[in-house]
Amino acid sequence: MKRSKKIFLQLGACIIFISVVGILINNLAINLTRTGLGFNFNWLFKPASFALAEHPLPYNSSDSYAWALFIGWLNSLKVIFSSLILATILGILIGLARTVKNSLLGLISAGYITIIRQTPLLLQLMFWYFVGFLSLKDDMFINIESIFRISNQGINILGLTLSSEFAALLFGLSIFTSAYIAEVIRGGILSVSRGQWEAFRSLGISEIKGLFSIIIPQALPAIIPGLTSQYLNLAKNSTLAIAVGYSDIYAINDTIINQTGRAIECFLILLISFLLFNLLISNCMEFFNRLIINSKKYN
Amino acid sequence: MLNITLNSIKISLQKLKKTLFSTLLNTIISLVIILITCLVCLNTFGWLLYNANWKVITSNLPLYAFGSFPPDEQWRPATWIISLLLLSIVTLFGPEWKWLRKNLISAWAGTVPLGLYLLYGGIGLSPISSRHWGGLTLTILLTVCSSLLSLPLGIILALCRQSSLQLIQKISSIFIDVMRAVPLIAVLFFGQLLIPLFLPVGIEVDRVWRAIFAFTLFVSAYIAEDIRGGLQSIPRNQIEAANSLGLNQYQIIRFILIPQALRIALPALTNQSIGLFQNTSLMAILGLVELLGVGRSILANPEFIGQYIEVYIWLACVYWFVCTIMAILARHLEQRLTINQANF
Repeated sequence: MKRSKKIFLQLGACIIFISVVGILINNLAINLTRTGLGFNFNWLFKPASFALAEHPLPYNSSDSYAWALFIGWLNSLKVIFSSLILATILGILIGLARTVKNSLLGLISAGYITIIRQTPLLLQLMFWYFVGFLSLKDDMFINIESIFRISNQGINILGLTLSSEFAALLFGLSIFTSAYIAEVIRGGILSVSRGQWEAFRSLGISEIKGLFSIIIPQALPAIIPGLTSQYLNLAKNSTLAIAVGYSDIYAINDTIINQTGRAIECFLILLISFLLFNLLISNCMEFFNRLIINSKKYN
Repeated sequence: MLNITLNSIKISLQKLKKTLFSTLLNTIISLVIILITCLVCLNTFGWLLYNANWKVITSNLPLYAFGSFPPDEQWRPATWIISLLLLSIVTLFGPEWKWLRKNLISAWAGTVPLGLYLLYGGIGLSPISSRHWGGLTLTILLTVCSSLLSLPLGIILALCRQSSLQLIQKISSIFIDVMRAVPLIAVLFFGQLLIPLFLPVGIEVDRVWRAIFAFTLFVSAYIAEDIRGGLQSIPRNQIEAANSLGLNQYQIIRFILIPQALRIALPALTNQSIGLFQNTSLMAILGLVELLGVGRSILANPEFIGQYIEVYIWLACVYWFVCTIMAILARHLEQRLTINQANF
């Protein structure tokens, strides 16, 4: 394409884009002044006047909206990282179960993966919350004297209490994500050539030792990118917490919008917080990736 | 004859022994799995047959399928769903007549206007507002409309992101990256609450179309990335060859790039549409009474209170069933496309 034509086309696209955005913003401004809301962030420092069931830091309803949002952010972070760890452990176990020789184990894990992947996450979360926790008798489901206790109040392990909302979210997210992680792991293991398996077997190395010291290190470069995208999905899916009543960042934004009507500002806050979550996760994974590449160089 | 069957049974038993009971560890694992599966199956079937109260499902079947659609007019969504099912069966198991196979695509494309006509009413049918749509019908409608709209938008976005025009490339990259960074529920929430704010005073879009719009924006960003992967895997010399044949830019995109990119991206696109079908359930939180929303409203009914397990198992089965049909249809399409490639 000629240079002049290129510039002409881009100018045209630019004008169309700017005018569309301009019309939208103009409409927005008209609507905001009509409803008398305007656009500012002063409300952030007014008292929130709603209670939160779960707060890792001290909070009461006379604290500001900004503090409530920060608590929601911490709650999100808490559920994302704990289910990330649980999902990884479960996913690795199921992914390995699909690759071992025992065909029964393979069948069971394949069934698990199809059932989990073919039903919506929201349905699974509701199942865990309403069936898994709330329908338990007031008393208990499992009660081993002050060590481990599951009831409709949540889970209690050695004095550490997890509320039923948090536990339902943790289980739902971890089990859902583990099915996807298992597929990533299986794909990574299958990407290592058959000859590697035959080679370590012919050297007399046991199956389990060979898997962990020969196959998995080679599969990791193929696994890490897939794992990263699953972690990002997990972070985004954690917003479904609102369905079980866990106060994560999205649920708190939702409450604030219902109270103050500040939809645009809250949407921007949500956008920025997810940008932060995504940066956090992808940077951690990038660091991990570099660690693996470096460790390979020295070997 | 008998000998052959006996032999094959013997061989398969030997195989079973080799895979399940080869070593001590394997044997233990197999036995434990068999034991647990038997226990779980016995308990579940016992519960399903004797303890479960399926009245909550059987007495509400029309509600699950059509939501609060007026009872006299329920044949309309029913016709639509049955025609979709019939079309799937014909596509999968129908005869291999050439004229039939050629017209199947237009038949599939025709289901969308047919569905909209049957639901909205209009010429010859009494009009029904979208407030009354619901159940599986609404779920399928959301899926079909959003995926149909997001495919062209996704293709355009992918092409823009590959374009040599810096500005266009930047705009589409920003759009795609932002959409992929935000959770779906935020986009849907944006659709329900914020779209009215961006429209001029007096213009209103109803809830269903706002939801479809939000789904389209979200899914098209993901589709764009899948198609970009397809575009990037097309070897550079194909474009050079097309150039040397004298094709212009538009012809190259239309006849060389898009068909190949779509075929390469097909498995990923299938996953997107299955994911979209499952994600329509999020609208239950945001006030549409689709399949999961119907389940929630039934559970809120004092007559059926506390029957969570029955309802959730039933809903999971419906979702699973439709997803499986979609996956099978997509695999069928993939196979046909690869066969065509071999013919060249």
